[in-house]
Amino acid sequence: MNLSIKNLSKTYSNGLKALSDINIEIGSGMFGLLGPNGAGKSSLMRTIATLQEADSGTITLGDIDVLKQKDEVRKVLGYLPQDFGFYPRVSAWDMINHFAILKGINNPKERKEICEALLNQTNLFDARKRNIGDYSGGMRQRFGIAQALLGSPKLIIVDEPTAGLDPMERNRFHNLLSEIGENIIVILSTHIVEDVRNLCSNMAIMNQGTVLLYGKPAQAIEDMKGKIWMKLIDKEQLTENKAAHKVISTKVVEGKIQIHVFSGSQPDSSFSQLTADLEDVYFATITN
Amino acid sequence: MFLQIFSFELKLWLKKPATYIYFLVFFALSMFITSAIGGLIGTSEETNITVNSAKAITEIMNALNSDLMGIITIIILITIIAPAVYKDFQYNMHPLLFTNPISKFGYMFGRFSAAFLVALFVVSGTIVGHMFTCSFMGVEAERLGAFRFMNYVQPFLMFVVPNVLLVGAIFFSLVTFSRNMLSAYVGAIILVVLKGISPILLSDLDNQNIAALMDPFGDQALSHVTKYWSAEEQNTLAIPMNGIIMYNRLLWLAIALGISGLTYYRFQFSQFNNPVSFAWLKRKKQEMKSIASAPLLSLSDLPKVNQIYTFKFSLYQIWFLAKFEYLKVTKTIFFLIISLLCILVLTLATEVSALIYGTPTLLVTYQVLQVSNVVFVLFAPLLIVFYSGVVVWREKDSKVDELVGASPISASTSFLSKLLGLVMMQMTLLVIIIITGIFLQLFNDFYNIEIFLYIKEFFGYKLIGLILLCVLSMSIQIFFNQKFTGYAISAIIIIALPIAAGIMGWNHGLYQFNSGGPRLLYSDMNGYGHQLFSFVIYKSYWISFAMILIIFSNLMWIRGKEKGFKIRFRIAKTLFNKRAKLAMTLSVLSFLLFGGFIFYNTNVLNKNLSEKDQEKGQVEYEKKYKRLSKTPQPRIVAANWNVDIYPNERGVNMKGYYFIKNKTNKPIDSLLVNLFPDVNLISMDFAAEYGATLPLDDKETGFRIYKLAKKFQPGDSMKVNISLDFFPKGFKNADAGTSILYNGTFFNSMFLPSFGYAEGAELTDDSDRKKHGLEKKERMADVNDSTAMKNNYITSDSDWIDFECTVSTVKDQIAIAPGYLLKEWEENGRKYYHYKMDCKILNFYSFLSARYEVKRDKWIPNAGSMNKQPVAIEIYYHKGHEYNIDKMINGIKKSLDYYTKNFSPYQHRQVRILEFARPQGTFAQSFPNTIPFSEGIGFIAKVDTTDPESVDYPFYVTAHEVAHQWWAHQVIGGNVQGATVMSETMSQYSALMVMEKEFGKPAMKKFLKYEMNQYLKGRASEGKKERPLMLCENQQYIHYNKGSVIMYALKDYIGEDSLNAALAKYIKKVGYQEPPYTNSIEFLNFIKAATPDSLKYIITDMFETITLYENKTSKCSYTKTADGKYLVKISVDCKKMKADSIGKMKDVAIGDWIDIGVFGSKEVKGKKMETELYLQKRKIDKNSMDFEIIVNEEPEKVGIDPYNKLIDRTPDNNTRKFKDTAPAKDAGDGGAVVTIGA
Repeated sequence: MNLSIKNLSKTYSNGLKALSDINIEIGSGMFGLLGPNGAGKSSLMRTIATLQEADSGTITLGDIDVLKQKDEVRKVLGYLPQDFGFYPRVSAWDMINHFAILKGINNPKERKEICEALLNQTNLFDARKRNIGDYSGGMRQRFGIAQALLGSPKLIIVDEPTAGLDPMERNRFHNLLSEIGENIIVILSTHIVEDVRNLCSNMAIMNQGTVLLYGKPAQAIEDMKGKIWMKLIDKEQLTENKAAHKVISTKVVEGKIQIHVFSGSQPDSSFSQLTADLEDVYFATITN
Repeated sequence: MFLQIFSFELKLWLKKPATYIYFLVFFALSMFITSAIGGLIGTSEETNITVNSAKAITEIMNALNSDLMGIITIIILITIIAPAVYKDFQYNMHPLLFTNPISKFGYMFGRFSAAFLVALFVVSGTIVGHMFTCSFMGVEAERLGAFRFMNYVQPFLMFVVPNVLLVGAIFFSLVTFSRNMLSAYVGAIILVVLKGISPILLSDLDNQNIAALMDPFGDQALSHVTKYWSAEEQNTLAIPMNGIIMYNRLLWLAIALGISGLTYYRFQFSQFNNPVSFAWLKRKKQEMKSIASAPLLSLSDLPKVNQIYTFKFSLYQIWFLAKFEYLKVTKTIFFLIISLLCILVLTLATEVSALIYGTPTLLVTYQVLQVSNVVFVLFAPLLIVFYSGVVVWREKDSKVDELVGASPISASTSFLSKLLGLVMMQMTLLVIIIITGIFLQLFNDFYNIEIFLYIKEFFGYKLIGLILLCVLSMSIQIFFNQKFTGYAISAIIIIALPIAAGIMGWNHGLYQFNSGGPRLLYSDMNGYGHQLFSFVIYKSYWISFAMILIIFSNLMWIRGKEKGFKIRFRIAKTLFNKRAKLAMTLSVLSFLLFGGFIFYNTNVLNKNLSEKDQEKGQVEYEKKYKRLSKTPQPRIVAANWNVDIYPNERGVNMKGYYFIKNKTNKPIDSLLVNLFPDVNLISMDFAAEYGATLPLDDKETGFRIYKLAKKFQPGDSMKVNISLDFFPKGFKNADAGTSILYNGTFFNSMFLPSFGYAEGAELTDDSDRKKHGLEKKERMADVNDSTAMKNNYITSDSDWIDFECTVSTVKDQIAIAPGYLLKEWEENGRKYYHYKMDCKILNFYSFLSARYEVKRDKWIPNAGSMNKQPVAIEIYYHKGHEYNIDKMINGIKKSLDYYTKNFSPYQHRQVRILEFARPQGTFAQSFPNTIPFSEGIGFIAKVDTTDPESVDYPFYVTAHEVAHQWWAHQVIGGNVQGATVMSETMSQYSALMVMEKEFGKPAMKKFLKYEMNQYLKGRASEGKKERPLMLCENQQYIHYNKGSVIMYALKDYIGEDSLNAALAKYIKKVGYQEPPYTNSIEFLNFIKAATPDSLKYIITDMFETITLYENKTSKCSYTKTADGKYLVKISVDCKKMKADSIGKMKDVAIGDWIDIGVFGSKEVKGKKMETELYLQKRKIDKNSMDFEIIVNEEPEKVGIDPYNKLIDRTPDNNTRKFKDTAPAKDAGDGGAVVTIGA
């Protein structure tokens, strides 16, 4: 089953163009959606998750018209939004059971089994009687994934799940994500390039509501090969370098500034070639 | 620091539009209230009160604090003041702020004072609104007093400032410490409910001071102090800055300051990191440690589950989610508090409700149902509005909205589960009420608990209304998609709109949301009766409306991020599928169907007349036909009726005849006939030889003129055959039509055709008359008006008549009319009763029919009686209402004893009391030998026979009604001022005497205290003119309440025997007289004749003028004398005043004989009883006097007029206990000292 998005556009009532003419085809497996804050990732995901309307264009999931047959989409959807919470003073167990009922799992025995399994899977079983309100950030995200996995979702959408997590928790979370079966579509939005590199077989880079790059990470890196150059400069030289070259990223290294420049050939001898990684692809794409 | 923060904050507020909007809200509310009171909008009543006196302004300002209106004020105040500090937390400003070197004092008080000042500014909109209305809106000149700035300043400083400070401090503190705005709203509801309780407490005469002190906003104190103010005083006096008002204000100001101080003292900048939690039962928070990942399982190992989306499972989902909502709502401290308050209010209200002269009723189930209405008025709307917001916004508020929104449940599942959860909460409250009610019943020793009635009332009828309210306020929340907008709109629609509609006289149930049509009132006799049908129809109409709302809300339900109405409607369109369309069509159809049916009933079959329409009808009648008022008319001299009552059809068929006689000295050529609006006159045939024609038949006013071809000569009589029926056509909008009921029918002759222009039908309210271009009108004709005296005050087309009738009813009921039963038979499955009167009676008779039990007894005259034959006593009562029948029978016997001994013989051979159903009212009325008596009065009274002071009102009411057989049915006054003195006042006096004989003097005390209170309150709200007793214009507070007090005093002054002798002489002279009828001047002359010259002044004071006293014991002390006696020294202050018709007072010289009393006590059966040690009338001729009195026993209390025989607005200070005073000191102020040995 494929998720195919065609000519999708959306403008907010304040005139902000959230999505403009998006065309992507997403197959099974993990799909990374990369982009800076405000790129339109969340808008896109919410639209797929039936929580937002589009002005024009179509989205189809297999033979479901996502924009019209919302109920059908919801039956096969697992969704973890970027910003979410839980009812206060409700235990994890009650909460997961609550979601299980919302998802139509009517057999009490099955419900109990799946809830137990998911809490086990996410390592929350021992903490199931605690109020979710008392959970740490990582536990909450894991619980979020647990509820998204309830039932047998065919499409899972996770919106910036690792924001704010410590490295340990982030690893755990990645492990969880990577476990999600291969026969289903998982869309992961993030602004952390590493997440995509580690997890996704396909990806798209978005900025200002448009898809700038769409393909496999490896392929993108390959395409970037030999076009990224590096140089250490002083602070004062930054402006002139920016004017002279296409600087895609800068970072401070030992008091000096390291700049990455995108160029088909070596700009000058002071630049040394770099093995491009996904981050360079990302920066090169969004600064274009 | 303080100043900087203060001015910064103030500037912030002054820039916000909200500040000015709130100001305008208060401005508008004040304008609305002032206009309503000032008679600019809506229906007004005649009054002497101006709208801009200090008292009126204070009341308008306080009105904004009370009841449901108060919610609006409190919420606005909360919005301004409560978050003054909290907002820093809310917007995460606190780390930035608190790390700056600001002082706690400057920060807190800077913020608080600025917010407080803004709040005062906002509330001052009331004052500006009031001034504006008074100056520019055209309030009539007579409703405006002189403009006095102090009238605004004083209430503002005394009430508004402390109240705003109090509310502000409470909620500021609550929010600052709990770090949660919710706690403020919850607190607001509790405050309003608590405030609602204090008037309930105040209704008991003994708790007034406590209630006045307890009221946080001071208006109970104000009304306590001003309750006896006459119109003149209300218009001119400032709010007194002393006594209970001052204590109340100081107390609550201190509490407000205390709370502010405590908040300041306890507040710490670090506070924001650790809010005070109100969920103290909650476990201590534990920061959870992350748990390391266990070995990973493959997701393919997850158990396979089935997801199904059947209708059946969605029902389960609704139930599951409803339970979730229900528990979320009810498992809170707030709900616990509400439940406890509910129990408390119900308990308190039961204690003090339905008290008649301080005597409660038995706690029959319907009484509990009635009392529980307080809860529905007070709690239900608040809870529903509040919780609708909570449940609708629960997902959003805890940010699960996207998770739930993306899950496969339908909007209807969400909506219906939330609705069900709310309804279950209401049901819980209902169960709590029922359990409380049952406990109260058991606690009050009442064991006939009708559990099914509880269930029927609460889970049948009340619950429908609650569900409708839930649907409405949830729909508002969903539609407006903003919690506080939703609250505001709900408050306007549910709370403010009905109040406004009430004022404006918009009464139709078709647009009054949740209307149940004519009042549904349970009666033991009649059950819910015929009103049940219209109730079901009206509710079906509103249920259909609710269905439309539900469908609409489901379509508009937001589950994502889209908020714009355009997009929401677009989404709604896609959701509006076939099923939704079908449901919507059906709902709309049913809405139209029921609405149409209601309209057909109320406006086609019947006329839905607003108060204004009725006024117009009266005006038209007067304008068209007043000119005919002098036309000579015949008198009815006999009536004979065949009356067929059909209780099940609620109709009656009457065929019969009048004999009319020309008692004038002129021939009559036209007959003016008035028909009662809903009566269907089938025929009215005058004796054929007169050749009557009908040239005028005014259907609008029911007025007819018959022309006679042959003149009806003076002294001639003629028979008039009449046939009419009265069957209700469908139902009316408001008037339930309670004359003829399934069980408990009672109607009287007032709805039969009458002759002549009916002056009584004219509009009486002068301000209304002015609007319609009519002259001012006195309430009654002058006491000396000899034309008016040609009619008695009950009927204007007859004097004394012969009466006979045959009444029939259904088989299982008994039908009754005045007269003696001659024959009783069954025919065609109906029962017939033939009654005939053996003496002449007034043209005023009644018909009753019900499933009666009968208790019979007999009164045997004793030696002193003027009657020689026994009198039959019959009580017709509803099965189950046996409780007080013996008291009534005893009342009849004792009354007959007293009246036949002291007044004149009883003219009949029987006395019958007949119970009728309470939807018709709670009163008793005396017809010749027949006394209809409501089931709501007396039959279920709970008289405490062990308490000598408790008032046995079944006995009292019986004695009063039996007395009317003399005072009304023997002596009837002409239709002029003072007429009711000879009926109502004298019946009160007669009953008082019978009661005093039966229960002794102590029983009089409480009764008279209530009478005095009612009189003083009554005169304070007199809209036209207060009259002296003898000129009383059918004013109940005068002829009943003042009458009791005056007659009891009169008896005390001139003696019972000589008073009764005068009355007997009077009856002898005027009893059964033909016109002209007697008046109060003639009556008073008999009393004057029996009064010694030295006391003649009391006749003037009591009957001819309005006289008030201000008597007070200012000092008292006693010493033991050498011979073991006690020398009591008393200083008294006396003031005597005369009041005019609007209560303007004038001091007059005193020279009165007034009781001076000394009291001790003794133990009787372990109870301390007061004993009279000395009681004498002493001449008081100075405003301050001292007395020395020697008594034999140790005194405890002294007083001037200790029994409150004289009218005195502060009766409590007449007596004084010795322990209240400082040790004995010689009274050295040179007052007259008289020593008398006892």
